[in-house]
Amino acid sequence: MELITTIKGIISLLVILGLAPVFSGLVNKLKAIFTGKIGAPILQPYYDLKRLLKKETINSGSSSFISNISPAINLVVVIIAAAILPIGFARPMISFDGDIILFAYLLGLARFFQILAAMDIGSSFEGMGAAREAAFSVFAEPIFFFTLGSIAFISGLTSIYDIYHSISLDNVSYIVFIIVCSISVFILAVSECSRMPVDDPNTHLELTMIHEVMILDNSGIDLFLYQYSSYIKLFIYAMLETSFFYPFGVKSYTVGIIIFIVVITALSMALAIVETITSRFKMKNIPQYLLFATAIGVLNLLIYTFTK
Amino acid sequence: MISLQVQNNEPFSIDEISFLNRNDFQATVFEGLTSGYRMIGLFPINKLHPHKIISILADSDTSLVYLIGGEFPKDKLEFDSFANQFPQTNYFECELSENFGFNPINHPWLRPVRKQNIVLGNKPYQFYKLEGDEVHEVAVGPIHAGVIEPGHFRFQCHGELVYHLEINLGYQHRGVESLMLNSNAQQRIIISESIAGDSVVAHTYAHCNAIESLSNTQISLRVQMIRSIAEELERIAMHLSGLGGIANDIGFSIVSASYGRLRTIIINSLAALCGSRFGRGLFVYGGVRFDLTDEIIKQIKNNLETVKKDIASINEYLFSSTGALIRFEQTGTVTNDFASEIGLVGFAARVCGIELDARINFPYGVYRYFPVFPTILQTGDVFARTHLRTFEIDESIRFISEQFDSIPKGVIQVKMSSITANTGVISIVEGWRGEVVHVAITDNNGKISQYKIKDPSFTNWYGLNLALRETAISDFPLCNKSFDLSYSGHDL
Repeated sequence: MELITTIKGIISLLVILGLAPVFSGLVNKLKAIFTGKIGAPILQPYYDLKRLLKKETINSGSSSFISNISPAINLVVVIIAAAILPIGFARPMISFDGDIILFAYLLGLARFFQILAAMDIGSSFEGMGAAREAAFSVFAEPIFFFTLGSIAFISGLTSIYDIYHSISLDNVSYIVFIIVCSISVFILAVSECSRMPVDDPNTHLELTMIHEVMILDNSGIDLFLYQYSSYIKLFIYAMLETSFFYPFGVKSYTVGIIIFIVVITALSMALAIVETITSRFKMKNIPQYLLFATAIGVLNLLIYTFTK
Repeated sequence: MISLQVQNNEPFSIDEISFLNRNDFQATVFEGLTSGYRMIGLFPINKLHPHKIISILADSDTSLVYLIGGEFPKDKLEFDSFANQFPQTNYFECELSENFGFNPINHPWLRPVRKQNIVLGNKPYQFYKLEGDEVHEVAVGPIHAGVIEPGHFRFQCHGELVYHLEINLGYQHRGVESLMLNSNAQQRIIISESIAGDSVVAHTYAHCNAIESLSNTQISLRVQMIRSIAEELERIAMHLSGLGGIANDIGFSIVSASYGRLRTIIINSLAALCGSRFGRGLFVYGGVRFDLTDEIIKQIKNNLETVKKDIASINEYLFSSTGALIRFEQTGTVTNDFASEIGLVGFAARVCGIELDARINFPYGVYRYFPVFPTILQTGDVFARTHLRTFEIDESIRFISEQFDSIPKGVIQVKMSSITANTGVISIVEGWRGEVVHVAITDNNGKISQYKIKDPSFTNWYGLNLALRETAISDFPLCNKSFDLSYSGHDL
């Protein structure tokens, strides 16, 4: 039994690593269709990654060892974070009490190194991007703790797997939590993965970029590592969102997988629609948007307190 | 005021210009500028003899263009700069200084226009730089992340706020004005088509007008109508492209894609007329190469109907989106005072409350009989520049549709007579971006001895400069796209 759980955990992680690019590809494809274009193939992210592997890696002459190690750290850390998340009802590879904190700060660590590497390169763009990323992440972090944290607080559990499994639909206020949480996790995903309306992943305008501008000077393997970890990161947030919907199925492995596929597809649809019909915010309005998501999380706690 | 007064496309003899000495020249130009005239040219009458220069001032109210000649001692090419009182002359003086070694005394900001690493005045040029602990400089370009033309931008910022933007251009300099002098008739048309790829019709129209005026060639009304239809089609196409670009810059992909779709319809209409989607190959001296048949008229009419119908709902969608409005309103504002001081032209000026449209103020071709009705807005921000372009599309569609109902009969090409010797002409055309000025001057043998081009971008880049002050640096691409200026039109 123990062995099967471990195997399932490993399979989950492999699925995440394998499917992460296809999610980005799906969002882009849907976005293209909504705007009346044919769009790149869904597998385009894989082709891009393959192309990057063949390219030469060039680093700025003024950069130090930070630029060399940052891309690898970034990917490794994001993969470890991915190993904490469950797919369906399988116990993930890494799961222990308090892993919710580990999860949050693994992603924080990835960001830390990326910001450091951006400043290390010594271009004024990258410094600007690093400043923006750092400033907005200050507003993004509370979203995570007020949404997942509030459920942790309510359920009294501190492991992501346990938290999600404690959600039962018998309690009406839980349904409200799920709805509310999925909204704020969506906003969190949009901000952390630099999607619209916070950041435009398809823009070529270096002065408006947040995330993309930090990797402007990277190439070859380094860029491959950054790109791959950003695909995984987007997928991680999609999974966070998906997990809210598992309670709607009976607790079987297969049903969990089906829910996973359905919700992921629906989510890519939602992302694509949002990216099609909204325009980007003014940079100075982004904190307001993120604080709105935090406020939703606070609302969760209030609902809990008053319905108790 | 001792000057020669001419109208748009009216040839004048060089002998009619009286060349004043330095003091009189300065006083006369000063007087003209004080009367509110706008400088549209400042250059030597002959490239080889730079000591005789003419200053061209335009008066939009009377449709007159004033030519003031000045003759300087050959070893002392200097005059007192007008730029301190009249910032609009700043760039013209820089250009004169760069190309012919003139020294505008007390010029506030002598900087290279097109050439890199050039010594102007006595010292090599240094970029403007703010000093301070919290000020940082962001240098962008000349190679950009996207597929756009090269240009170097230096921002002096405090955090995200821009205090000063300096734009350094010239990377596309091809020597168009010199090429014009050494080319034959067929080559000249092709060169003028290539001045700015997005203003093919406007520049070629201005060039043909200039040469036809020099040779006293009378073109038929039918030709004039076909030319103006092509010009308006170009205007619609480029405005649609600009609107799509603006929507793209704020990440509004559905609107961007929709405008892009409509633009294709319009440039295909231009292709139906002349075989090129950008209007290349349409113009020849003395007429146009392709006639407007009933079949083409029907096709263009259908296309315009589609655009008219669809654009209304797209505009509605864009301008009712709060997200878009927040980005547009009060972003990149240029005040009316600044706009007239720096001599903005085209739609960038019309959104600052300046009534300036060459089709009205310096009428030419068919616009003399069938006026257009330009819209004037007041706020001078990105919103106004975006909104005005939708109005201009509507107006152009109306104009073309009305022309179709009354196309006169006539030949589409007449043989051009030979070019008159010792003559000059000023040809102004309102391109989609603004006023395009071509000045041609011939020598004693009837050969073109001086050719000067002023693209609207030449003056309007400075407007972008002012628009960026106290604006967030992340709004730069949006402001830039709202002005939609040409690099190659500036660099020539």
